[in-house]
Parts: sequence; C-alpha cells; structure tokens
Amino acid sequence: MSANSTTRASPVTAGRSRPAAPDRRQQYRRRSRTSDLLVTSLWASGAVAVALFLAAGGGARFVTIADTVTSIGIITGLIGTDFILVMLVLAARIPLIDRTIGHDRAIAVHRSLGKPAIYLLLAHGVLLLIGYGMSSGFNPIAEIGPMLSLPDMPLAFVGLGLLLVVVVTSLVAVRKKFSYEGWHLVHLLSYIAVLVAAPHQLSVGNILAGGTFERVYWIALYVLAFGAIATYRFAEPVIATFVHRIQVSRVETVAPGVVSIHFSGRKLRSLESAGGQFFVWRFWTGRTWWHSHPISLSAVPTERSARITVRDLGTGSSAISSVRPGTRVSFEGPYGMFTDAGRTAPRLAIVVAGIGITPVRAFLEDSRVRPGETTILLRASSPDETYLWNEISELAREKGARLYTMLGKRATSGPGWMPQADASRGVTLRSVFPDLMDSDLYVCGPTAWLDLVERDARRAGIPQHQLHTERFDW
Amino acid sequence: MTIRATLGGIFASVAILVVGWQAGSAAVTSANSTSSATRPGSSTTTGTPAATPSAAGAPATAATQATSAAPAKAAASGSFTGSDTNTPFGNVQVQVVVSNGKITDVKALHLTDSGGRSVQISNYAVPILKSEVLQSQSVNVSSVGGATYTSDAYLTSLQAALTKAGL
Repeated sequence: MSANSTTRASPVTAGRSRPAAPDRRQQYRRRSRTSDLLVTSLWASGAVAVALFLAAGGGARFVTIADTVTSIGIITGLIGTDFILVMLVLAARIPLIDRTIGHDRAIAVHRSLGKPAIYLLLAHGVLLLIGYGMSSGFNPIAEIGPMLSLPDMPLAFVGLGLLLVVVVTSLVAVRKKFSYEGWHLVHLLSYIAVLVAAPHQLSVGNILAGGTFERVYWIALYVLAFGAIATYRFAEPVIATFVHRIQVSRVETVAPGVVSIHFSGRKLRSLESAGGQFFVWRFWTGRTWWHSHPISLSAVPTERSARITVRDLGTGSSAISSVRPGTRVSFEGPYGMFTDAGRTAPRLAIVVAGIGITPVRAFLEDSRVRPGETTILLRASSPDETYLWNEISELAREKGARLYTMLGKRATSGPGWMPQADASRGVTLRSVFPDLMDSDLYVCGPTAWLDLVERDARRAGIPQHQLHTERFDW
Repeated sequence: MTIRATLGGIFASVAILVVGWQAGSAAVTSANSTSSATRPGSSTTTGTPAATPSAAGAPATAATQATSAAPAKAAASGSFTGSDTNTPFGNVQVQVVVSNGKITDVKALHLTDSGGRSVQISNYAVPILKSEVLQSQSVNVSSVGGATYTSDAYLTSLQAALTKAGL
C-alpha cells in the first residue's frame, strides 16, 4: 500500500465554493423519518385491504366452514392485490422513494414482496373454488365451470396465469437463463396481468360494490400505482430525452476495454443529478437500441456536456463502446443514493475497485467535505485497471483527502478484498480507516469483492446507515 | 429506526382493522335490524282489513298454513307485493300471484345483486325456492345451501306478501 498523497490542507478553491456542509445528522434524521413513514404506510395498506372486507360486513361471514373458506379467500385476494400494487409503486422509481431509501432498496423490497403476493393470489383462487364449491355442493374442480361463467372471471384467470409467469421468470435460478432484455419483456406482462384482474374485483365480489367508499379507495390505489408507473417510467424519461437532446459527442479509450463516452446536450444542470447517481441509457443505433444500460456519470455534468465511463461488462457494453459520435441517446434518471445527500456521519471513507471508480469520481467531485475529512482507498488488480486514478488523485489533492492505493491480485488468505502483500502485513479496514466508526463508508466495485469489504465493515461494527454500497453486476 | 417503523406499522394496522371491523359490525347490525323488523311481517304490513288471524310472531306461520289448508272465507286472488328486504348482498323483493287462496306464481322483483357472484347465487337459488314454495304452498321451506342470505330474504318478503293476501 502506498500513501501517495496526503493532507495538503488546501481550502476549497474559489470557483467550486459551495455552501457550508449541511447538518448531516439532522438531514439523516429527516430522511429516516420519511422512510419510517413509507414502511408504516406499506403495513397500513395491507391492513386497509383487510379492513375493507370487515367494513363490508365480512366479520359476520365466518359462521359456516364454506363461508369461512370463502372469506379467507377474499382476504388473501385483497392483500395479494394490494402487495402487487405496492410492488408497482416501488418499481416506479418515484423520486421521493429514491431520495429516501434509494432505488436499490426499493427494488429489494419489491423483490421480497413478489413471492408472498403470488402465494396469496394463488390461495385466493384455490380457496374461493373450494368455498364456492362447498356452498353449492360441487367439488372445487367442478366449480371452475360456473366460476368462469361469472362476468370478468376468464380475464381474472388469464391475469393470474400471467402473474405466475412473471414471478417464475424472476426466481433467481430461472432468471439467470434469460437475458436482461428477455426477462424485462416478460416482466412487462405484469402490467397486463394486474389490469385484466381489475374488472372481476369490481364486478364479482360485493366488497367493492358500486357506490361504496371501498370501491373508490380501491380504484384510487390502481390509479396511484399505474399513474406512478406512467409518469416516472414512461412520460418523464420521454420528455427529458426530448428536452435535453443528449447525443454522443466523443468516445475516448481510457484503457484496454474501457471507454469514456462524452455526451453533448442542453440544460444538463437542470437534471440536478448529484455526483454518484446513475442513469439508464439507451443508445439509438440499429445494434444497441434494445439494450438499456444503468451507468453512473463519471463526472459532474456541465450545462452542455456529460461523461460516462464504461468497461465491457455485459453483452451490451462492448457494443456501446463502439458507438459513433452523433448517436442519439435516451435516458431515465438520475437515480441512486450513492451521493453526498446520503451522508450521515462526520467523516468520509471510500473504498473502490476497478471500474467502480466511475460513480466515486463524480461523487467526490460533488461532495462537500472539509480538508482532512476524507480518506480514499483505490484498488485494482493490475496497472491496466487503474482507470481515472489520475483524476481521483487530483480531486483528492483539491479536497484535502488522504489517498491510498492497493495494486495486485486478491489475497487467498486474510481479508480477500486486498492484495496478498497487504493482507500478509496485517492491514485491515480499521488500520486504513482509523475513524471508521465516525465515517460514512462508500464502497463501489464488483459484487464478490464488495461483499468481502462489506463483511469486514460489518464485523468492525459500522452501523447500517453509515454503509453505502454500489454493486457493478447488472 | 426500523423498530419505530415496525411499531408504527403495527399500530396503524391494528387501528385500521379495528375501524374496519367496527364499520362492518355497524353495517351488519343495521341490516339485521331491518330484516328482522320485516321478518314477522304480520300485523304491520297487513294491507286489507281481511279477517287475518294475526297473532304475533311465531304462530303466524302456523296460522297462515291453517288458513290456506282450510278453504276458508273470502279466498284471496290477485298479485301481492312483499316487503323490500335488505341483505349485505343487495335487496330482495318478491311478488306473489294468488288465485283462489292458492299460490300460483312467485315473481322476483329484485334479487341479491351486489357483485356477479351474488347474481350467480340468486340465479341458482331462486328457481329452487320458487318450486319448493309452489309445492308446499307456504314459506315453510328450507333455505338453499350457499344462498342463506338470499333464501332468508326471499322468504321474508314472500311472507309479507302472503300476509297482504290474507293467506
């Protein structure tokens, strides 16, 4: 490990002067209050689903076995549908949610709701077949016929089938067999699934009967979920793409297999992208338009230009490294909490490996830090992979940050995220960052490597909210 | 912080469930009170001052049977509309056609219709109820399985109609 630049306590240069660092603790408290409110409303929405059933007199419908089975069937349907709508809201990339808990955590919650939702909805179907069957004296299979004769029921069966396909293709084991684009296309079916399931909820049951408050609430939920998707996943990106008119201006090779793509555009500052955030890009050429790429900016954009730095990671990345200047680019974003706004602690520690340097580069440029507040550890397995190290080192000098570097293959003994030489010398996360407990730790790099750093950090006892990670394995 | 969120979530959920449950039991109570008010249907709904043996409550049905069994005084004829009876699945109202003190037809003016499932239940239960009523010439028929609310309301409305008819 070499400490090649140390604390040259230079005051923040006049040109880039920013308002004094905000009260991070207060900022964090406000954010966690909003986040708790979101969690509470998630719980509450499930409870409302059950309350709707009770308010429609459902409490009295547990007398006979058939009634009880039917009632439970109705409740599972209500909760399951509520979960599905919550999942849509979480996947809608609503700015409030992204700013509060971050896109990745929102998606993690989205994923964790998938299986419960489909189990509840399957139970809904099965229990109602049994319950209806019992009350009319049919077996559940024979009940399918009369059930299908009800208005809107065939559509509801189609919806459940589609939803099942969507959830199965998202299981970890199955998803690996699909390309991202193929999986995503299947995932879009869930919009259709949820929509075709809606009519039977309003027409078959009596819980959401016409003219009731329950019906109004339920329709409002649908409007909220689909409105959020339509606004933030479709309308806003399209509008932003046309307003900012981003196109490729220059492609610059940084290292073998790594390019910086420079964009030109209009009013780019009004995007208000914080350093460390990412955009989902789409390059409109014949070979690349069907791939979208979540890539961080590798520098804070100016009014008319922005830059990303890409390594050939996926099938699509190698194609975009050969795009020509003038290529039109559409985008969604900015997203992510790997930013200065995510800070919670007085000091800053950064560990970064390989191409993970790109968001860190922009984050550092954008961050409001006092001289001496920041310690950075750069990591690469070979000198070929020291992309943007020169820029980081310049920024470190400007911001008064301490900078360490580690070069070499991963150690086979000791902490596996550092080179053997450093591991053997007994270097630890705590020895690099003595103030770790008072620091926000920002880690960015390949998943396998990042997991090791994260494990060490947790063992050292760093609180969850001080740990900020960005994995590069989309 | 997550503890606060969890507690908040639990508290909010419980509160919402209690409110929903209270709203539900209030609705059920009021529905029951309306239907039980119409259920005896004897003294209050009597339309014509015919010589109805109107004892209160339970004996009413027995008395009705007795009347229809014995070809009595002025045997009623015509159509008589029953009470509009509430259920959680919609109102039920029937009209009975009587000819010489004999029930010849029961027409459903309104049936449980809150949601397609209720319509389905009505469609399947009502023909059974009607044929049993025509056969037994009384409201003394058992409710159709899986259609308890519909059956009870149907028979309540029918009872009121029969009372009007003086049967």
